[in-house]
Amino acid sequence: MFLIFALLTLLGALALSFQRNLVVAGLCLVITFLGVAGLFLLLANPVAAALQIIVYSGAIVVLLLFVVMLLNAHEEEPRQQPRRLQRAGAIAVALVLGAGMVRLVLRSPLLARLNAQPIPEAMNLDRLGVALFRDHLAAFEVVGLLLLAAMIGAVALVKRDL
Amino acid sequence: MSSVVPMLTGGLQGYILVALLLFVIGLFTVLNRRSILVQFMGVELMLNAANVALLAFARFRGGDVQGTVFYLFIIAVAACEAAIGLALVVGLFRHRQTTDTDRADALKL
Repeated sequence: MFLIFALLTLLGALALSFQRNLVVAGLCLVITFLGVAGLFLLLANPVAAALQIIVYSGAIVVLLLFVVMLLNAHEEEPRQQPRRLQRAGAIAVALVLGAGMVRLVLRSPLLARLNAQPIPEAMNLDRLGVALFRDHLAAFEVVGLLLLAAMIGAVALVKRDL
Repeated sequence: MSSVVPMLTGGLQGYILVALLLFVIGLFTVLNRRSILVQFMGVELMLNAANVALLAFARFRGGDVQGTVFYLFIIAVAACEAAIGLALVVGLFRHRQTTDTDRADALKL
């Protein structure tokens, strides 16, 4: 089960990276987010999985696809300069960083030690709500304010004659 | 190697590895592609990689509820970032008729 969701996530991300059509790339992003939601389920966290599906593969991807279609930017524009050095640099950075971090993960004794933990009780809205509203009430209100500010900012940025 | 088995069956190493690879793919997308919209998708991939790592550690430290609370705040900020970022893309398109980052080079020396 873990392998299925992990492969779904990584293959979706890879397909996004190499997809020419932006709408199809957005749909690959949905596959990736659903794979991540599946991983959250396996991590005994159905609340996070539901949030992931609602906010990411629902709201954010729909917004993104709206903008792609609004701007009529279905294809990447033809390149002006070849920029071979940049492309080679991107591949080199990705490979070096990836290989280094994979080595680090495989050798880490801390990860192996934490691995022995038994499966905890699944997260539910009850526990989350208590923790959220008793210990983090101020932060919760600030996040509400932040969302309002972002909403007003987005409208102000896009509106032509304010 | 002894850590290959928990990696394949959903141990902590497996989740961290998936998160790392997701991050690297997102980084590669941002560096390699020219369309600002695809770069935005790459940024979202990197953010999700961080979320996977966060919740994996929360679960393997005994189902910590603080991890989920933090995740809630992260996605609220991510939603703000998506709204503002896409508004900026629309603004860029209005001024330059392009979503190509190579063509938005007015600040370049």
